[in-house]
Amino acid sequence: MPTEWKLFADLAERAGDKQVTVDASAGDTVDDALSELVADRPAVGDRVLTDDGDLRSQINVMRNGTNVLVEEDGLETVLEEGDELALFPPVSGG
Amino acid sequence: MHVLGILGRGVDETTLDGVVDRAVDELAQDGRVGVIRYDATIADGTHETLTIGGDVTYGLGADGDWTATGTGLSVQDAIDQLATNCDYGVVVGVPSLQRRYPTLIVGSDADTDRAESNDRAHSLDHAQNTLATIDSPTDLDTLALTTALESTEPHRTLESLVSEVKHSPQAPRAGAIATFTGRVRQKDTEDDTPTEYLEFEKYEGVADERMAALESELEAREGVFAVELYHRTGVVEDGEDIVFVVVLAGHREEAFRTVEDGINRLKDEVPLFKKEVTIEDEFWVHEQSKSHHE
Repeated sequence: MPTEWKLFADLAERAGDKQVTVDASAGDTVDDALSELVADRPAVGDRVLTDDGDLRSQINVMRNGTNVLVEEDGLETVLEEGDELALFPPVSGG
Repeated sequence: MHVLGILGRGVDETTLDGVVDRAVDELAQDGRVGVIRYDATIADGTHETLTIGGDVTYGLGADGDWTATGTGLSVQDAIDQLATNCDYGVVVGVPSLQRRYPTLIVGSDADTDRAESNDRAHSLDHAQNTLATIDSPTDLDTLALTTALESTEPHRTLESLVSEVKHSPQAPRAGAIATFTGRVRQKDTEDDTPTEYLEFEKYEGVADERMAALESELEAREGVFAVELYHRTGVVEDGEDIVFVVVLAGHREEAFRTVEDGINRLKDEVPLFKKEVTIEDEFWVHEQSKSHHE
């Protein structure tokens, strides 16, 4: 079962698409889905990961509208079937 | 209020009028409908019979029925005025509005109005804002017009939000309304490169959920009775309003405090992304390098 990433702002521009389906399914972690996402898209990886491969501090990751870094187990959060993941830079409304 | 533009593309006036009548009838089943017709032949002096002097004249009758004539009203002014007491606003014959509002195209003569879509941002929005393309009034039978329109972004103004909170069941206990309006700033300093427009991208679904949750949280405060948050998406041009926060409260202290917290939290928490387009450059605001500030 594939998982869908939604990308916003410059991240979507770097990926060339606002939606990317990756090969990660229930039981895998958010980190697995992120690795799949950046594997073929180095421009996205450069933007969201540090040289050590950690997520940059200003990048947000949501799972079904919930911030996994604040309210769940971060990148170790385990995926459930049909999850929608989102990756975005700092929000800038107003 | 939801705004519906209607534009004719190479069809006769009878067909266009038929579509407008039918659309208005359909929307009227679910709410109050305002109609704005653009007609360039309306000009000084052509409506003398109604005007008895004054720049604006209201003729008032029984039960609040009225007619009006006047000068100096733009299409956007008219839409904004309808927004305080109509559920739907139908605007006929104003191609430039397709940038901003869902539009019903009648006929398929693609060359008409092409001149409107010259620049990059506007041509993009143009395509997105076509609700449907139809040929005749009967085509509306198969189009769930009201449902389709309801699924689009509503049009709200500061006045319409203020009017909404005044109708709160708790309004009798409220002695204060405080508001915040965020608008497009053309320049930070006198010699700053002028901003042409901002373009907001929204995390569809999640942004609205977050704003609704923020409203409920603020409304749960002691002495706060109603909170309305509204943020535009898409292209917002220089000088236009972007965001409103409206708070109905018992007293001014909690009204002011809640307005400030409301806009701060909206800016920190709601997944909205701002691209700034100046006459020289375009960039996502969060990526803005130091040089843009200097």
